[in-house]
Parts: sequence; C-alpha cells; structure tokens
Amino acid sequence: MKISLNWLKDYIDLSGISSDEIVEKITYAGLEVEEVVDQKKIFENIVVGFVKERKKHPNADKLSLCVITDGTRDYNVVCGASNVDAGQKIAFAKIGAVIPNGGFMIEKTKIRGEISEGMICSEKELGISDNHDGILVLDSFLTEGTNLSAALGLDDVTMEINITPNRADALSHIGVARDLSAIFNRPLIYPILDLKESGKKSDELAEVEIKDFEKCPRYIGKVVSNVEVKDSPEWLKKRLKSIGLRPINNVVDVTNYVLYEVGQPLHAFDLDNLAGKKIIVRRADEGEKFVTLDSKERKMKSSDLMICDFDRTVAIAGVMGGKNSEVTTSTKNILIESAYFNHSSVRKTAKHLSLSTDASYRFERGTDYNITLWAAKRAAQLIQETTYGEIAVGEIDAYPIQITPSKVEVRFARITRVLGYEIPKEIVQSILTNLGFVLLEKSEDKLIVQVPSFRSDVEREIDLIEEVARIYGYNNIPEINKISITLEEKVDQYEFTDKLRNAFTSLGFYEIVTNSMLSESVAAKFGNPIAVINPQNSEMSHIRTSLLPGLLTTVSHNLKVSEKDLMLFEIGKVFNKKIEKISSFNDFEETESLIAAITGNSVRTKWYASDKQFDVYELKGIVVALINKIIPGAVVKFEECTDANSNYSNCLKIIINNEDLGIIGKVIPEVVEAFDVNQPVYVLELNLDKLKWIKSLQKAFNELLKFPKVYRDCAFVLDSDIESARVAEVIKESSTKLLHNVILFDIFQSESLGKDKKSLAFQLEYFDLSRTLTEEEVEKDFRAAIKAVEIKFGAQLRGS
Amino acid sequence: MLDRIESTRKNFDEDLSKVTDLVSLEELRIKYLSRKGLITQIVDSLKDVAKEDKPKAGKAVNELKNHTNSCFDELKQKFESESKGKEEFVDLTLPGVEKTLGSKHIITQTLDEIKNIFKGLGFSVYEGPELESDYNNFTALNFADDHPARDMQDTFFVTDNFLLRTHTSPVQIRLMSSKQPPLRAIMPGKVYRNEAVSAKSYCLFHQVEGLYVDTDVTFAELKGTLVAFVKQFFGQDVKYRFRPSFFPFTEPSAEMDIWWEPKGKEGRWMEILGCGMVDPNVLKNVGIDPEKYVGYAFGMGIERTAMRKYGIDDIRILFDNDKRFLTQF
Repeated sequence: MKISLNWLKDYIDLSGISSDEIVEKITYAGLEVEEVVDQKKIFENIVVGFVKERKKHPNADKLSLCVITDGTRDYNVVCGASNVDAGQKIAFAKIGAVIPNGGFMIEKTKIRGEISEGMICSEKELGISDNHDGILVLDSFLTEGTNLSAALGLDDVTMEINITPNRADALSHIGVARDLSAIFNRPLIYPILDLKESGKKSDELAEVEIKDFEKCPRYIGKVVSNVEVKDSPEWLKKRLKSIGLRPINNVVDVTNYVLYEVGQPLHAFDLDNLAGKKIIVRRADEGEKFVTLDSKERKMKSSDLMICDFDRTVAIAGVMGGKNSEVTTSTKNILIESAYFNHSSVRKTAKHLSLSTDASYRFERGTDYNITLWAAKRAAQLIQETTYGEIAVGEIDAYPIQITPSKVEVRFARITRVLGYEIPKEIVQSILTNLGFVLLEKSEDKLIVQVPSFRSDVEREIDLIEEVARIYGYNNIPEINKISITLEEKVDQYEFTDKLRNAFTSLGFYEIVTNSMLSESVAAKFGNPIAVINPQNSEMSHIRTSLLPGLLTTVSHNLKVSEKDLMLFEIGKVFNKKIEKISSFNDFEETESLIAAITGNSVRTKWYASDKQFDVYELKGIVVALINKIIPGAVVKFEECTDANSNYSNCLKIIINNEDLGIIGKVIPEVVEAFDVNQPVYVLELNLDKLKWIKSLQKAFNELLKFPKVYRDCAFVLDSDIESARVAEVIKESSTKLLHNVILFDIFQSESLGKDKKSLAFQLEYFDLSRTLTEEEVEKDFRAAIKAVEIKFGAQLRGS
Repeated sequence: MLDRIESTRKNFDEDLSKVTDLVSLEELRIKYLSRKGLITQIVDSLKDVAKEDKPKAGKAVNELKNHTNSCFDELKQKFESESKGKEEFVDLTLPGVEKTLGSKHIITQTLDEIKNIFKGLGFSVYEGPELESDYNNFTALNFADDHPARDMQDTFFVTDNFLLRTHTSPVQIRLMSSKQPPLRAIMPGKVYRNEAVSAKSYCLFHQVEGLYVDTDVTFAELKGTLVAFVKQFFGQDVKYRFRPSFFPFTEPSAEMDIWWEPKGKEGRWMEILGCGMVDPNVLKNVGIDPEKYVGYAFGMGIERTAMRKYGIDDIRILFDNDKRFLTQF
C-alpha cells in the first residue's frame, strides 16, 4: 500500500525525524517499506524552463527546435510535441536528469542532425499523470530555474509498504500513524469532526433494514442532500494522486479519501435511485445476476450478502457497488454507507467472483466495527465541504447486537520467557496503550487490556507479546551467544540419499533437478498420474509418475547446445494414484526414486585412447560397484526383463537380495524420439524407498591373503548364441572351492572360427587362504573345468 | 629323450649368444620359455617316457629349465641396467588422461552446507511427503479456513483436501505429532507454488525448515542460532537485521535480512529467511502443552540462498540442467 508522508503528518507530529529514520523504524516495527519515492530527489536536474524561441526542425516535419533558458544560460532543445511554443514555461530536464517514468538519463545528443541539450517533459514522462498528449505547460508566474518539485509543490515522500495479512489496522494513513505514535511515543491526532447538520434527520430521509446480522453486524447510513457533483478541489486530487489513485468526482473522491485515511470502506449511493429510499441488507438469490460498477454482470450465490433497495439489488456488500445506483454528475442527494461486514463472508464472495477491490481487501482482513460511525461523519463533513451539500441530522445506525470488546491478559514473566529478555514493565504498558489498547487492570505480574476495535487480530497473550516485541524492536532484543544441545537421539533421514549422491558424483555423474510437473500425456505414458486441479498450463497439469521424462528433457536440452556426452542422475519423488479419486494417503503412492543415464561417448578420441560409446555394460558395472559400496554384503543379480510394455530394450531387472529393486536398459527409440533425442540413452532406475531398507552387513575385516594366487587362462570356441554367464557358471560348478574368480577377458568372433561361432577367453583365479597351492591340484581343477565346458556346450578349447 | 634335451640346450646356448638387446631376448623367451615353447614341450612329453627312464629324464629336464631360466634372467638384468643409462624420451607436455568427477546439483550443495551447519548445532534431519493434506499444510499450522493468509502461498490442489505442499512446515506437524519434545530438527525438501514461471519464480523450489521445541526455548536463542548460521554461511562479517513479519504458525514472527552488495551494484537489504516462535495454537494442534513448552521455527529457500551466494539472477537456469552450468559447481 502506498503511504504519503505529507498525509501522515496530518495525524502525528513527525518534526525532527528524517524520512530515512521513519522508513527504517517503521520497517523494524513490522510495516515493511519496500520502496521509497522522494519527489525532491526524482526531479533532480528538472527545472522550470522558458521557451525563448521555437522554429521548425530543418530535417523533420514533426520536430521543432527550441531555445530554452533556465535563467542562467540558453539551451538548444529538439522537441517532438506539437503544443510547444515560444513564451511558455515548461518542465525542462537538463543533461544528467533521470526521467521519472522510464528511468533513462538525459544526455547531449544530435536528433536528425541538430544538437539537443535536454528534454521538455510531458506529465506522463514526469510520472505525474498518464497524460501524454503534449508537454506540460506550467503557470507563467513560475521563475525559470526553480526546481520542478518546488514549482509544483511536489515535496512529498511516498512509501510502498507491504502490509501483512494480519495487520488490517495498518491499511490506512491513521493506521500507519498509530504505529509511528507507538514507535516515537508521540500522540496520534484524529482530525476533528465539525459537522454542520441541518434540515431533516437521516432516518426520515432513508431507512436501513438488516436481514442477516451475522454477515452484517452494523450498517450506518448518513444522508447528504443537494450536493453538487463535480471535480474535487486540488488538495484532494493531489492527495489521491500521491498514492496512485485517479480522482473521479468530489463524492467518490471523498469516500476514497476516508478509506485511505482511516481504513473504513465507504460507498455513496444516489439516494434518488434507491427505490423506497430504503436499504435492505440480505442474502442474494442463488444465481441472481447483478451488474457491478465496472459494467460486468456477476452471478451470485445464495451465501453472498447484497445491499438492496425496495425493489432490486444495488451493491454486493463489501465488494462493489452497482451501476444502477452510482453517483453521477446529476446526483443531488446521497446516502453514505459505512458498514461492518463479516470478514469471512466478504472473502468468500470476493473469491468466487475473482474480484478483489480496495473494499473487499479490507473487509476480508477484518475492519473496525467502531470506526464506522466516525468514518460516516468524516465523509459527510468532507462531502459538504467539497459539494456544498447539506448534512442531514444524525445518522441511521443499524447495530442490533453490540459487539463486546475482548479482554486479554499478559504476564510479564511470560514475555520474558518467550523472548528470553526482560522488557521493563512500564515500557510494556506504554507500548500497548500507545497502540490503542486500553489498560483495565495492572498488577505486579500482569496487565489486563481491552483490545481496540481495530485490532481483530489480537486475541491472546502471545499476540500482545508480539506487539510489545515488535515495537520494542527485535534488534533491541540481544541474541544469546551460547546454546545448550539436548542429547536425544539424532536422526538424519537424508543420510542414505547423501551416500548415493556421493557415489554417483565420484563415478563422474552430474546431479540434475527437474520439474515435477508434466503434461497429462507424458505423465500418463509412464504411470497413473495425479492431476492438479488448478494448473498453470496444460504442459504442467500432472505430477510426474517417473523421473524418465525429466531426464530425457534434460538430455534433449543438452543435445541442442551440443553437449552430447552426458552422465546424469536425479533423486526425487514420483507419484502414482492407486484409485481414481484420492481421499486419503492410501489412495496414492509417493515413491523416492533414482534415475541415472549415460549417453554419447564415454571416451572421445585422445592421444591415449580412441572413441568409445557408452553401452549398457557400463551401467551394469556401475550398479554392482554402487551396491557394493552403499549396501555392503548385498547380493546383486540381473535378470532379463521381458515386460513388453517396457520403455527399455536390452533390459535387465536388478535383483538385490532376491528383491526386484530396479532396472537398467536402453530407452526405446519411440520414447527418446518423443523428446527429440537422436542418440542411444542408457538408463538405470532404482526404487529408493525399497533399497533404503535393505540391511547391509556389518563391515568386518577380512584377513589379507598371505599365499600366492595362481591364474590359468583358457579360450573356447563355441556357438555364438551361448551366453557367457552360463559358461562361467559351468566353470564354477565343475571346480572345487580353490577357484575364486572367473574373469571373461576376451570375446572374439571371426569367419576363421567357423559360421556362428565365437571365442570366449576366461582367466581362472585359484587360491587358498591357508596354504600355497601345488601345480598339480590347480592343473586338475583347471582340466576338469575345461572338460565340463567342452561337454556341456560342445565347445572346443582353443590352441589344443 | 636325453638327446633331445641335450640338443635343445645346445641350440639355446647358440641362440643366446646372438641376443643383443631386450627385443631379441624376448624372441628367445617366446621360442623356448613360453607356454608353447620348446622347453614346455619337452616337459609335456615327459609323460610319454618309459617309467624306468623317468627319474633321469626328469632330472635332466629340471637342469635344462634351471639353466635356461638363469641365463635368461641374467641377460635380462644386464640389458635393463644398460638401458637405464640412456633413458627414452618422455614428452611430459602431453595432456594427462582425462578424468571426470561429477558434482551434486548446486541446490544439493547449498543444502549440504546448510545441513552441516545445523547438524553441528545439534539438529536432526527429517523429511516428509510432497503430496500433503490440506490439514498438515495449512489447518494444523494455524491458517484459518477463510483468512487471507491462505493467499500468501499460491497452492496447487490435487483435491479439495490434498495439495502439493507449499512449504516444508507440514513436516513440523508430522514430527511434533510423532515425537515428544525436546525436538530439534531441520526438514529440507521440495515445495510447490502455483506461480507463473519467470526469472524470479519457478513452480517449485526447495526449503529448509527448522524447529526447536523444549521447555526453555526463547526468541533470543532463535536469534542467536540464526546469527550463528548466517555468519558461518555468508561470512563472519555479514550485516544482518530482524524485522517483524507474519506467518500464521509463528508468533512473534520475524524475517531476517542480510545486507547484500553485489559487485558493481548498490547494496540493499535482502530477505533470507522467515522465523518466529511456534504459535501456541500449533502446539495445541499436535498435543503439546504450550504452557510447558516453547518452540521456535524458521524456514529458508535454498534456491534463493544459492542464487545469492553464486550471483545467479535467473532461477530457471537451475532447472535447465545445462551441462555447461552443472560443471561450474
């Protein structure tokens, strides 16, 4: 909300306090100033100039060449506005000036061959209004060289304050002044009401009937007759403009003024347009249609509160008035509405209409049920002053059930306990009373205060503690520099994924983080996706069912920027629903998952190596290394995956301790192509929610081998469709426990071996932990293994 | 047999005399000493020797083996020690063999840094689900049903009662509902906001939540703990301030700003975290007596913290995962 410092000064004496100090202190009290505009500063180097001469630009029809003086010297200026003329006083931006609207700096330039040493400004360029029809022509009595802010009387400082949703009381100048009053301990001064009432009484001229007390606890109507609706006086326009409002007419402007003065939304009806001169506050009919001031037709619900006259609806309570009873230049008599509506009712209505107004914004945060009367009178007084109308005597105050202000107790000891710092009792008391809390009771250990009607957010002791702390200043509460650590069990639920991340990065992988929101078609391809009911767009309408789409999107992005060799991984949640309609946590699965991918080359030709592409065996090796490291003692096996719907070819299931925990494979072409990826991508997926619970063996030291290992090599020629693992298996089965390892070290295929034949070369590793092996026993074992392979597979030992 | 041994020995000695360098020595080894070499063949043929001749033949074969082996070793040593004198040219300007260590995403790295600091201060680390109930995400955290505070966080709803969590604070609720104080934990994780994607905001980001509930927790301790954190994270001379703010689940609530002066730009205060004393209503909602226990809580965005630290001005680049970006960290 925009707050004008000049306006604030109507309610509090701020003399001797700089605007910088105000900005800082008010921020420290919880009204965060996000931006400050000091008009004196923004018009730096912009002065009143006098146009001495104007002639046509020689090279451009629409431009003119002007000679401007600032009283000390002359400047040549090229101007594009048609209304510029000799003899005018204008706003002249000199070299070095920064144009308020646009932020560019004026420099000496040449425009179509002619030198220009400044700029003549329009209202829009100066940020004064939206008027860009031509340059701003100033009053002729102004002296050349006077700074523009002084010339225009623009000496205000405006602050953009971020008011948090709990601080409805601060949504006005008086509200902000009240905080300043507590901060600087200076009195808050309300404007004096001095109404000249005459003629009939308000309740003789109009009538108010509330049909729903809950939604409208209080409704005040005040009549002003014989008004003359026209432009507002300059002071009022200037005030409204200073906080960014557009003046409309004196009646509407006054209601806006009072809103920003004290926070009470007001509405002015044309009394002559109210059938039966009666206001009825009632709920809407379901489906009722109503045209609001902005000329839009709104469809109402039966829970919405409406303001009606004898025949029809005239306003949506607390949100917006209607076209049918609007104040116009022909309006003679008006009824000012100053009401207190239930905050949640207004919020519901504004929400379903998607209509947020200055009024609804305040009502839904909770307004002041007592200020209604003051605001109605204040508005009547200002309307009288600006429209010369007559204020009817008294007002209609429909307030059937008096609201009792609440009482709250605050214990000094509790303040100290929560803050960890003792604030002197008298300071506690003065802070609260300066903020408008009424002291009801005071004792050694506590205060009991009455909560003012404008602080609906304060209900409990802790609320008062916050009030005291924020005004005292958080930065004045010293922080302690020693903490005690309790010794309960420490837990780190990220430990497992941390280990995985460390392992993957040490293998050369880069971690990625991708968007969890996918389009329906993509999400549905990989699972049973959960839809978001209010998505940003259709590309992000469902929650991811798999990490694969995000990964392929990343690969695709990198290929486009010519990064073709990638080792990537992501750890994240995937979501799948189990039944159509989710009503409990059991109806969907949220699973922590890991995906890793390799694509492109593992080696690009170098002086020491030649090109090598990534393949599925690389991933197989990674899985084994990874599991050995992360879950020592776990047994890793691979099984061919035969799922026809798989997104992978050459696919293996990863079986860890007999549990199916993941998959590796090559992403099938139709899937990669859908992501614009045109090279093979090999992927590893692991279900971390399951993997996490696999128990690892307690690591224990293994005695180091003290005796030599013996190696034997052999190569077999056999049918090319015999799987190497089966051969290795047979070698192991046919050997004694002296054989510890079978290493496949060569695969060779050639015509010379025979058609559909291949050669597999193995190295067999023999040792015993307790002794040196003899040549003979190794030889015996080795021969047995060879024989078994020969028989089992019809293999032939090479070189024999 | 013995003749064969004898002639082999003679041939070996003759060949040996012709050996001039390591290369010709290797040829000699292959001819005689390799697995299919002449001497191995002799050893293999031992099995065909008549039983009574075996001891003699065996002995001769062994002698032959010893002789050839020792001659070979002797020469090898000789050539090797000779070659040491005139070293081969080694081009040490050749580039090294390329190795890659990957890296964690900058978000994880930043989280790790934050985690390490708080673990050192005695905090545990907990996690919670991203798809949450409205109750855990809002109601239990003292967001009144029809209060504008609900508008503070634009929410992706999945049903009327389930949503993508808008903050990590529901993990507080889960933790406090399942464990009795003292509780001191941080709770990192992914959160979602229904905001248009731009340089400044993304539809998801990461937060770290902190919570400490015990009998003697104070605002002064909250301040002290967070000051210790920012000093360790941003540097000991970091300038900071606390200012009042509003979160439904804490009271008093505060935001912490640090003074930020990017190179060549004007300095300004930047919000880095929100914090406050756990609202008594929240404690009540999880069955903890607010008279007996007091708590503090805080929360910060990891992306924003990382962006500040590394001078990144567009959040989207964090989720593009461009290799040229990833390899920088």
